[in-house]
Amino acid sequence: MSSVIELKHLKKYYGESRGIEDVSLSIEEGTIYGFIGPNGAGKSTTIRTMMGLINKTDGEIFLFGKPFDKDDLEIKEKTGYLPSEVNLYADLTIKEIFDYHEEFYKKDLKPRRNELVQLLKIDESKKINDLSLGNLKKVGIVLALMHSPKLLILDEPTSGLDPIMQITLHDILLKEKQKGTTILYSSHILNEISNLCDIVGFIKDGQMIKEDTMDNIKKNYFTYLKISSKDIEKIKEELGLKVIKEDDNTTTFINNLDPNTVINKLAKYNIDNLLIEEVSLEDLFINYYM
Amino acid sequence: MIKKELKSNIKSFIICLVLLISVFLLVYLIYPFVITDENMATMNELLQAFPEEVLKAFNMDLASIDTAYGWLKSEGFMFVLLGIGIFSSILGINIVFKEEQDKTIEYLASLPIKRSKIMTKKIFVSVFYIISLIWIFTLFNFIALLISCEFNQKEFFLLSLSPLLIGLPFFFFNLFISTLVKRDKKVLGLSLGLVFIFYIVSMLSEISDKVEFLKYFSLYTLADTRNIIANCEINIWCILISIISSVIFASLSYIFYNKKELL
Repeated sequence: MSSVIELKHLKKYYGESRGIEDVSLSIEEGTIYGFIGPNGAGKSTTIRTMMGLINKTDGEIFLFGKPFDKDDLEIKEKTGYLPSEVNLYADLTIKEIFDYHEEFYKKDLKPRRNELVQLLKIDESKKINDLSLGNLKKVGIVLALMHSPKLLILDEPTSGLDPIMQITLHDILLKEKQKGTTILYSSHILNEISNLCDIVGFIKDGQMIKEDTMDNIKKNYFTYLKISSKDIEKIKEELGLKVIKEDDNTTTFINNLDPNTVINKLAKYNIDNLLIEEVSLEDLFINYYM
Repeated sequence: MIKKELKSNIKSFIICLVLLISVFLLVYLIYPFVITDENMATMNELLQAFPEEVLKAFNMDLASIDTAYGWLKSEGFMFVLLGIGIFSSILGINIVFKEEQDKTIEYLASLPIKRSKIMTKKIFVSVFYIISLIWIFTLFNFIALLISCEFNQKEFFLLSLSPLLIGLPFFFFNLFISTLVKRDKKVLGLSLGLVFIFYIVSMLSEISDKVEFLKYFSLYTLADTRNIIANCEINIWCILISIISSVIFASLSYIFYNKKELL
């Protein structure tokens, strides 16, 4: 499979202040890539650099295997972009903005447009100016998808959407993936990433700090180990794990040992209660960033 | 895209056209009643009290305001030039820059269209509106003058061309400025301020020979209205400088816009 997006040591500085320091990633065709990071980490800067809205300071961008050129119309035709904040022409109606969008593409967008409008329950007669944040987001989603792009770049796509629409969007994206569409999905809402993405890349302070498959992230990292025992002080010494919580009779450890090792080490102690909990992506995220 | 741009900018076009036509219509309507022999005598007495420099600043040393056409040549056209200057400047500063201010550029830039083509289409619409404004207004004045009084038609048409000589440089100058600045709402104020500064500088340069050099620092000098009224001709240099400066500012706008960070 070939890389649809490839970033090599991408750097962006706004004068003295850092946008991104060193972002390298590679996304293969048909993959949904979760791009995670807290606010200010550099997610939107990375995306805006890829979209040619801002100029990179250093590094390389390849889209569909070609060196980045903001005026490459062939690539632009194959790309759909949903910004985190959807800003459209306030004086137009939704129908007018969809018609306007169609003018830029050589193919007939009507069937896909109608399909998406129905799925997302959009009233095309409304004016952009009168739309709520959620409805504006829905219009943005249709604009990003109606030309059936091969690459979708979504920046915080569910912000403002109600839970039902979030599910609808995820269904749409999973169908897009089945068609072979590559999706870069930027978010700080970790649960939606865990249900949707194949690969997750973590960005912090403008640098990629971790990238792994969703399965590995779920399996291989850490678990929470909750133990209730009179011998808890000895157990702490024996395990050598970080304690994150202690209440009356239960101590919670961050556990990176495999289950057999834990059981072997605990065998000699009197244990009242033992619980191994799978860590949520939320907690994994906090462990990285906090 | 052109259809959308025409729609987005039609409001300011209509406002400017209605404003200009309203003022002139009012003058055409009231002039026959105001300009009587008695009133003119009083007016002439009053004007004699003004220093010659002030009369020169309003072209009133060259044209008598005893007819509507006389008023049009003097005070009237000063107003037109100011109006066209403001309209062209607002268009120039806003036509591309507003997309950045409203952040709609994030959507526009994602579409399969080159930045240079965005610029070309926006320039086309703006120039269309500037020329339309001038020619609709010229047509209105022509009909009104045919009804109101006798006038020199060649001189009138040359005068009617003069707003174009300042309108286009003002538009392209402001377009260029808009490609240099970041999202900042103060830019429009600065742009309008410049129109008034150019206007005042141009008037000052007419007042005295000592400050005549100031005319080289104002785009309004390109209108060449005094020469048109005095000699019924336009200085070819004004036309050339108007075209050359427009081409230079347009070229710079393309270059800088292509490199600009849009967010």
